[in-house]
Amino acid sequence: MYRRTLTALQRWTLRLDVWINRVYPTDLNPLYYTGGLANLFLFILVLSGIFIFFYYVPSLSGAHESVTYLTERVPYGGLIRGIHRYAADAFIIAALLHLFRNWFTDRYLFSRDSPWISGMFMLLLGGLIGATGYVLVWDERGLVVLSTFAGMLRAIPGVGGNLAQVLLGGPGVSEGTLPRVLLLHVGPASALYVLLWWHYVRLRHPKVWPPATWVLVSLGVITLLAALVPAVSGTPAAPGLAPRTFWLDVFYLLPFWLAGYLPAVLVVAAVAILFAAGFVIPYLNREAPDAMGTRHAGVAQVIDGNCTGCELCYYDCPYDAIVMVPSPYPGLTRAAANRKLLAVVIDSRCVECGICIGACPFEALELPGFLESDVRRRVAEAVHA
Amino acid sequence: MSASTSSGGASDPRVVGFVCDWAVATGGLTDAAGRLRAHPSVVLIRVPCSGFIRPSWLEDVLKAGAQGVFVVGCPYGDCLNREGNYLMRERIDQLQRRLQRRKIEPERLVMMAHGLHDGEAFLAEIGAMIELLRHLPVPAGAKPAAQPMRAAAAASPEEGGR
Repeated sequence: MYRRTLTALQRWTLRLDVWINRVYPTDLNPLYYTGGLANLFLFILVLSGIFIFFYYVPSLSGAHESVTYLTERVPYGGLIRGIHRYAADAFIIAALLHLFRNWFTDRYLFSRDSPWISGMFMLLLGGLIGATGYVLVWDERGLVVLSTFAGMLRAIPGVGGNLAQVLLGGPGVSEGTLPRVLLLHVGPASALYVLLWWHYVRLRHPKVWPPATWVLVSLGVITLLAALVPAVSGTPAAPGLAPRTFWLDVFYLLPFWLAGYLPAVLVVAAVAILFAAGFVIPYLNREAPDAMGTRHAGVAQVIDGNCTGCELCYYDCPYDAIVMVPSPYPGLTRAAANRKLLAVVIDSRCVECGICIGACPFEALELPGFLESDVRRRVAEAVHA
Repeated sequence: MSASTSSGGASDPRVVGFVCDWAVATGGLTDAAGRLRAHPSVVLIRVPCSGFIRPSWLEDVLKAGAQGVFVVGCPYGDCLNREGNYLMRERIDQLQRRLQRRKIEPERLVMMAHGLHDGEAFLAEIGAMIELLRHLPVPAGAKPAAQPMRAAAAASPEEGGR
């Protein structure tokens, strides 16, 4: 079931690419840069967030007022607040597209699990950052989000009550609450950059930024949106206020919307199960290993005697799986006799793509499941068939 | 001349193609031996990634008697192994310059990029390549030095039309 569903999803993902590639040159297909776009929006968020931070007052009486001051009195303050709001939505959209696209196109196989795991952590933190961001505005929606969040924490068996107390800084909303929420907004946002290091650490040339065209388009769209549809606060939060209907952000506040219909414990369980399932995905291959054929050709092996230490494979490996070590002894061939370095493949990083084989002009690398002699045999068959 | 025969003729130029296993799906296009149904003189070999191809293998294919060789990777930007098709494109550019110095027409070596469901575009590009190869002189035997240059000049408008 899983296998067939995923194959169908992959087919539709790549069909979509065929259509998009008819419109754009393939180098500009925005779906090839979802990760870079997410990073761009995160960068916009950090810059606009620093600006907003200068004006924000994390106190029960001052928070809403300071946000209103920022929006109405500070030059371009409303615009920057709008940019912060819409870049956050764009960030989560880009991150989710990045997740689904890499899931559906099998980009989690073999040792590609560390970007996946770090990405799941970033998604969880992203959700927390978004929810706390809505609380910080401290309008009636913020209060509802905060009390729902505290309710969900309380629903966790065992430690729930304590967690809610840690969040609120007391048994209920108190003067200590908003500084804590502010820390939970800014702290995880900084932690995202630590996780991004983990996200990139196994990649040789990560596509950190989208092409310049898309940077400009994204900036333009977000600025335009922020100017045309300004982000506004609701009525100030007051503990006794009767809740009214208001607009909820589907990208960040979906669990809070669900909490209106389901018991809090079920929502917490659903989020936990989704998150745990996310960690299992890279280890659920939709193909059996022996059915993968050339896709599973084994970890690249260095033919020690042929390696000249020229570093070409080291430069071309997209996953940093090859390191050059001082050669302990000379190689066997004439080209390798005076080598200073020796290539070593780190098994746990190799994704079995064979790019190092193409990079090596000295026949010093082989994929165990697809040897050079196999290639030569097939070429001979093909030419003389 | 072989140029006038219909597609699938015995005199069609022999072409070997290396196809990335993640790029265009060829299951419905080939027979058991990897021969393309639409162009039986084209034989496909599936490889783990286009970047797996060593440029010397491509040269060897031409030396062994094939009249053309091509590599198919994923669309640029969408390589499953992130950079395989870019690296291969660079290696093929280098090899084409090297072939040109040896008076071998660089048109015999083609880099293609087609996604899993790009079968039609893939077949169209192969058709264009075969049409081009039919107009190139047969490589066997000695040729006057000017011949390949003239052939390349004659072929260039067709290449632009692809």
